Amino acid sequence: MFRPFFYALRERGVMVSPTAFLRLQRALSMGLVQSLDDLYTVARTVLVKSERDFDAYDQLFAEHFADEAAAGASSADLDQKLREKIAQWLKKPKKPATSVEPGAEQLERMSPEELEQYYHDRLDDQVGEHHGGRKWIGTAGVSPVGHSGQRPGGMRIGGISRNRSAMQVALERRYRDYSRDKSLTRGQVGEALKRLRHLIPAGPHDALNIDATIYQTMRNGGEIELVFDRRLADRLKVILLIDNGGWSMETHVPTVQTLFNHARNQFQNLDIHYFHNTIHERVWNDPERVHSPIPFEQLLARDPQSRLIVVGDASMAPEELLHAGPSYTLRRVSKQASIERLQAMAKAFRHAVWLNPLSPSLWPYGQTINLIRQTFPMFPLSLDGLERAVEHLMHS
Amino acid sequence: MTQEAPLQRFTNASHYVLDDELARIVNVSMALELPLLLKGEPGTGKTRLAHAIADSLGMPLIVLNVKSSMKLVDALYQYDTLTRLNDSRFSDSSRDVSRIEDYIRMGRIGQAFTAEQRVVLLIDEIDKADTDFQDDMLDVLDQMQFDIMEIDKTVTARHRPVVIITSNAKKDLSDPFLGRCNFHHIAFPEADMMRRIVAVHFPGLDEQLVDACLAAFYRLRDLEGVEKKPATRELLNWLRALLVDPDVDATALAEGRLPYLGILFKKSADLEAAQMQALA
Repeated sequence: MFRPFFYALRERGVMVSPTAFLRLQRALSMGLVQSLDDLYTVARTVLVKSERDFDAYDQLFAEHFADEAAAGASSADLDQKLREKIAQWLKKPKKPATSVEPGAEQLERMSPEELEQYYHDRLDDQVGEHHGGRKWIGTAGVSPVGHSGQRPGGMRIGGISRNRSAMQVALERRYRDYSRDKSLTRGQVGEALKRLRHLIPAGPHDALNIDATIYQTMRNGGEIELVFDRRLADRLKVILLIDNGGWSMETHVPTVQTLFNHARNQFQNLDIHYFHNTIHERVWNDPERVHSPIPFEQLLARDPQSRLIVVGDASMAPEELLHAGPSYTLRRVSKQASIERLQAMAKAFRHAVWLNPLSPSLWPYGQTINLIRQTFPMFPLSLDGLERAVEHLMHS
Repeated sequence: MTQEAPLQRFTNASHYVLDDELARIVNVSMALELPLLLKGEPGTGKTRLAHAIADSLGMPLIVLNVKSSMKLVDALYQYDTLTRLNDSRFSDSSRDVSRIEDYIRMGRIGQAFTAEQRVVLLIDEIDKADTDFQDDMLDVLDQMQFDIMEIDKTVTARHRPVVIITSNAKKDLSDPFLGRCNFHHIAFPEADMMRRIVAVHFPGLDEQLVDACLAAFYRLRDLEGVEKKPATRELLNWLRALLVDPDVDATALAEGRLPYLGILFKKSADLEAAQMQALA
């Protein structure tokens, strides 16, 4: 019952260590888990180490403990001792709270066919009366069928449904906003800023601080004590290129601007330029892309140590990226295909990333995304993506 | 596995509003003898929780405020060389200069280990320190002992303290560190919870005023482009200010006339943004 859950967590990228897993077993054997609610909380506090994984945990917890009972596959895996323990704790029924009619949302969790199938399977299996358990039909259990049980999303066979259980809590997905893979929102600017703080060069502790060394040596009664400071490193220059054309980018542009503007004083220099879809002869200083153009060559001539961050969905008609020369659909005449310009930029700036607000699951389907990904390392515009992008910028 | 003598359980304490989930987590951590790492945005009551635990368990609280420059040994013990040098030159103190032990002073963790009774040890804002500090500290907390090099003596904890560690998530903590802690993230309290928190701090407050304040407060938290959102502490201070001002009433607040926004927003850019948007 717990082992598949453990592996499911690991598969979802929640790095649960075996030690933590054993710790959970210890908690179970110490009798710290008295109900499914307890299990939800205890397992989370012991296994999951970051609020960014809470959402994944919530989903898996709901998914896992429902699916497994339904498949009836748990018995083989269930450690005998553990099963006794759990059966034991489930025998202590919780006191019923105010009755709530199950909402439509509750019924959705298991399709009616599944529920019915499960119900019949259990009827075939079940011998004798049963009260309190997690698989059999009876009362006051957490099986998906039966009544007065603690498991929401179950089928009610008479009786009334009970108060909020762990499963409900898990299904609420309270931690969705902290989830790693969600696209960046306004509300996460603060959290994202913390990721950007790593965008600071740090020299090693190798500069001898003479004054402090003398002072510390004196303090030490003449024993020499060397004091080293961090070597000073110049703050970074950052060039931020934002694609602000097209509706797909609309919601993300203000977020990105706010984010970097707040981080501005952390950089020696932050230049924000705008473009549409991809980069041609020029980028603009003004968001309207009319008044103050910057020629591409000038952009290319910036300090090669600058960190280049491009934010865009990288989605456009392929000819816009690949075509050079006069264009029928666009007003411009371009001597050089845009992809070549992008390649020139990637070459000029050793530290460059492309942040894409589109979900990475969509990337393989975009022809131009694939082309640009070959040129720039691409990261999703999410907390996690930002973190990895910053790491890439600092260590590539 | 031997069951310890009746588990001391943590329930609730005055001035701290606890949800069930958190109480359960604190109890589990105590039973498993693991440090509990609390994360959450400022103002969600991470530090206060430790005070509440100490209160309700009747244990003394020892607070280690972590600073960025701190070395682990500072938290364990200090060897006061300067005093010893002084004593050896002027020999007018009652201390015995040849006994180094007289010049060892316990740091916070050392105090927690040598205390007469079980204590709550709060390690506040661990994320300020560097990774080495964090990892080394957990080694000490794991083994419940450390060495004093100068006198070649090992200090072992007489009673295993209840360890609470808080982090503002400024820096990510290392994996080995996380592996040795229980973890909980305190989400920002929702309106209902906040109402209870307010009630604890201001008993008998006018319902209407509280409603209006909370509505305004959550609206202000949702404003766009604000870097540092107002937290519980700011709300309570704001309420305090509103209470002393005789001109404030619930209807004015409901209409969007919000005085003393400076208490809620601590950055000038945020304050401007809030004032602009609050009026609009």
